[in-house]
Amino acid sequence: MKAQSALALWPPAASATAVETDHIILGFTVLTLLLTVPVFLAITYFALRYRQGEQADRSTDERRSFLIEISWMLIPYVLTLFFFGWGAKLFIASRHPPPDAMVVEAVGRQWMWKFQHPTGQSEINDLHLPVDQPVRIRITSQDVIHALYLPALRLQIAALPDRTTEIWFKADRTGTYRLYCSEYCGTDHSVMDGNLTLMTQAEYQEWLTHGGAQQSNLAAGRVIYESYGCAGCHDGAVVGVKAPSLVGLYGRPVHLADGRTLTADADYIRAKILNPNENRLAGDGEGEGGGQGGGKGSGKGGYKQVMPSFRGVIPADDLDRLVGYLKAYDRVAEGAPR
Amino acid sequence: MSADVTGANPAADPVGVKRAEHFATVGQQRHAATLGMWAWLLTELLLFAGLFLTALILRLLHPEAVQAAAGHLKFWIGATNTVVLLCSSLTMSAAIELSRLGWQRMMVGCLLATASLGALFLMLKGYEYYADYEEHMMPFLARRPYALAEQPATRLFVNLYYVATALHALHLFTGIAILLGITWKASRPGFLQRHQNWIEVYGLYWHFIDLIWIIAFPVLYVVNR
Amino acid sequence: MSSAGTLHGDAAARDPHTPLPTLDRPDDYLHAQSTLRSWFLTTDHKRIALLYLASITAFFVIGAVAAGFVRLALVVPDGAIMTNDTYNKAFTIHGVVMVWFFLIPSIPATFGNFLIPLMIGAKDLAFPKLNLTSWYIFMTGALFTLVAVVLGGVDTGWTFYAPLSTAFSNTWVLPALIGVTIVGFSSILTGLNFVVTIHTMRAPGMTWFRLPIFVWTHYATSLIFLLATPVITLALILLIAERAFHVGVFDPAYGGDPVLFQHLFWFYSHPAVYIMVLPGMGVISEIVPAFAQKKLFGYRFVAYAAIGLASVTFFVWGHHMFVNGQSDLASLAFSALSFAVAVPSAVKVYNWTATIHKGSLRLDTPMLYAMGYIGLFVLGGLTGLYLATLAINQHIHATYFVVAHFHYIMVGGTVLAFLGGLHFWWPKITGRMYSEPWGRISALFIFIGFNVTFFPQFILGYLGMPRRYATYPPEFQLLNVLSSAGSTILAAGYLFPMVYLVYSLWFGRRASANPWDAKGLEWETASPPPPHNFAGVPQVPKVPYDYPIQAPETGSHHT
Repeated sequence: MKAQSALALWPPAASATAVETDHIILGFTVLTLLLTVPVFLAITYFALRYRQGEQADRSTDERRSFLIEISWMLIPYVLTLFFFGWGAKLFIASRHPPPDAMVVEAVGRQWMWKFQHPTGQSEINDLHLPVDQPVRIRITSQDVIHALYLPALRLQIAALPDRTTEIWFKADRTGTYRLYCSEYCGTDHSVMDGNLTLMTQAEYQEWLTHGGAQQSNLAAGRVIYESYGCAGCHDGAVVGVKAPSLVGLYGRPVHLADGRTLTADADYIRAKILNPNENRLAGDGEGEGGGQGGGKGSGKGGYKQVMPSFRGVIPADDLDRLVGYLKAYDRVAEGAPR
Repeated sequence: MSADVTGANPAADPVGVKRAEHFATVGQQRHAATLGMWAWLLTELLLFAGLFLTALILRLLHPEAVQAAAGHLKFWIGATNTVVLLCSSLTMSAAIELSRLGWQRMMVGCLLATASLGALFLMLKGYEYYADYEEHMMPFLARRPYALAEQPATRLFVNLYYVATALHALHLFTGIAILLGITWKASRPGFLQRHQNWIEVYGLYWHFIDLIWIIAFPVLYVVNR
Repeated sequence: MSSAGTLHGDAAARDPHTPLPTLDRPDDYLHAQSTLRSWFLTTDHKRIALLYLASITAFFVIGAVAAGFVRLALVVPDGAIMTNDTYNKAFTIHGVVMVWFFLIPSIPATFGNFLIPLMIGAKDLAFPKLNLTSWYIFMTGALFTLVAVVLGGVDTGWTFYAPLSTAFSNTWVLPALIGVTIVGFSSILTGLNFVVTIHTMRAPGMTWFRLPIFVWTHYATSLIFLLATPVITLALILLIAERAFHVGVFDPAYGGDPVLFQHLFWFYSHPAVYIMVLPGMGVISEIVPAFAQKKLFGYRFVAYAAIGLASVTFFVWGHHMFVNGQSDLASLAFSALSFAVAVPSAVKVYNWTATIHKGSLRLDTPMLYAMGYIGLFVLGGLTGLYLATLAINQHIHATYFVVAHFHYIMVGGTVLAFLGGLHFWWPKITGRMYSEPWGRISALFIFIGFNVTFFPQFILGYLGMPRRYATYPPEFQLLNVLSSAGSTILAAGYLFPMVYLVYSLWFGRRASANPWDAKGLEWETASPPPPHNFAGVPQVPKVPYDYPIQAPETGSHHT
């Protein structure tokens, strides 16, 4: 869903504040041109007119130079201060939300966003919001410093670990816009983006009722699979770790160390994530290796259970999405979205 | 100052400075050396100022944790060390005055006394660190249990205390090393005719190391009790 | 006026346009001794300047190659050309090397070292051995940083923000941090040397207000070196302690604050950009009057503006942190002060323009660079004001707008000033003239290539493309490809001088003492100068920039 074509030179503005910000920069550009174009023209003109050998009047009058200096110091400065004031006013306003603002909680972590609506629904990387309603986003980070950037609203704010920062806005134009992380946060900093979808109030209620069904759970699940580090071990990226591949796991039989065989259903997967030390796999510890469905081959001497527990680490709704993703993992193409 | 300004007649004057080739006059050379040392000390002041500022910010953000941590500092060792350094500044000043008078042997004695007092400071500091280690007050040692682990913010102050005092100790150690080098050269005949201002310029540095401790001691040990 | 003067000349009496009669001048500073030892253990400020010139050129190449990686990767939006990690390392290394190992030393350590004693009429800097030590410290810091690069690179960005750099990045952060900490001492000692030299070693008659603006700007820069660098040293020491020992001061789990690092970092790094800007202003202030043959307009204002910049610059660091959670009051104050810091820069630009007015202009290579500098620096500076405006900053912070802004100043400003100075003082430093047509061609390539590379980035930034992005939305591809294409033109522009300047060392026309008819004590001695700079005590002119105010009708060069 592209918000603009390749040749657009101006980003869409989705709120009155965004429009006013554009006015500030346009106004400032006019002042800038007034202050600089004469300088460029003058230099070019002087360079040609007063070239060595050209006949020209080169007499100079030193008397007024002090006055000239003071004027070209102060006049442009005072003029620019107008824009300082205008920009400051708008900025301060953006830091003081009205009391009826709806509060959205946002959490940034490497490398995903999670937004929680006041009614409890949460989304990964995408954010659906109503227009004509003040919205306050309270934001924090679970690891490094991130920043939530919404260009269509001309706003961004840092997400700090163990602190909450906030911005507020009132959008007035429906549409789908970009959402980015704008504070460099490591490998996948540029992949931590999503879509801000602004909709009418009625559409928003509709969306909430259907549990945010618009968002693809597979896509969200994949993001969580990578963000919590599952992909790191189970997709074979970490040297020395023989985490069994999870492709096609759902519904297959699993051979346990104590001799039992279970079917890997949703409950099994969920329990394994929260407590990997239960239901240890065959081939664990000293036993002979015996892979599970689609797993890494059985080597001599088996492999040791080193997966950490995610109890208390992964919240319930993220866990639901993750399990939902794993259920579909054999149907998902290799090279899933980064 | 009984230094010879032009360096023109070293034989007659027992105390002076030999003009280096790129300087026009000895006065210029003296001025440059002193100004250079002041400029260096200014940068050192800014370095430590950042540390003390951070300590102050910590105190404002986490007053109880800082107080709890500071309670484990060894106030009396710190206080003794303060006296030791003050005395060393006294002997350094004496060395400077003696260098101006041309009394080389006594000056060398004072320089050695200064270095010894500095070394005494370092020994006391080393003992203090050892005691801290014994009392499990070294949170930066990942494998050793930390005495105040239930108050996480105490780590900040304790670790800052180590960074500040270790940085100061590093300066003191370097200072002693340079001082011993200068003392060796200063004990040679003819030193005071050629390099009297070395003692003065170095003295500035020594006083500065003392000054940093005089600020560090209250900021770390006293204020938080 | 006899043209057959003595070897080192009685400079005042000799016609400066006629090269000295003997072709081999073995007793200038370049040729007097030629052993390796005489170069690597030199205490002559002119040779040390050349040691720096060689090393910073090498680091420039490294930084430029890293930039090449970055622009190459950005030709496609999906990161197909290299992994995200490789890209992140490329931009980090580009920043670290360019900032600390090229831009900060560039003009001060080469031209400052070479020219300050000459311009004030001294035989050397106040502390020649300390000067050499500075260079060795510089190279040691560079070695540590290069070790980090060779071992596998660093991916934290040149800003090393905690907690990414302290607890999350698993690249070679520690050697890089150590390298940068070490190189800071090189800056401090150079600044110390300059301040003491300018205060104590001016020739008789060289009062403060007879000094060239180049000296004023280097004095101001040196004040920043002394006052700001220790703070980054401390910030880096704390960062090293945090990463190695988990000290906790930047870790919120222990009650620490990562934003504290940002304050300590930017308290230095904002003045640091003025370290990069002020010396360039000094160079332009020498070139423009020489090529207009007219005294600098408003000398005192320009001199005071340099000191003004060096002072106000210490109070604006929070403009890098408007959206990072600092208080509104702080943001307001920093924004207001950032508007104020633009005033002294504007003063200089207007004064240079007024100098050109009614001058007698020659558009040789140094002047082309100077004029390019004025245009690009103005644009860069004004876009800085956009960034200082709070409401605008909320939109363009950490986007390509910022990248374009600072490249306009660093490349369009500092690099152009560096190249202009290199061409202006080349005859003095080497005793040879470079090829003027090649000089102009390169200047044109650089000017055009630079604008094609960086102007689109203003647009990209306003459109919302964040910086440090290995991948980007496809709608930004056209502008990115344009920018990358421009960088190839720019690269060519950089390569040409490396060739023709080196060529001129053996085959260039020999230069006279003052081929440009410029004013300033450096032009009153031979090209290249003798090891102790002047034959006797230099005669200090009563007025600085004592150019003929009126160019005479006949076209000859003397009043």
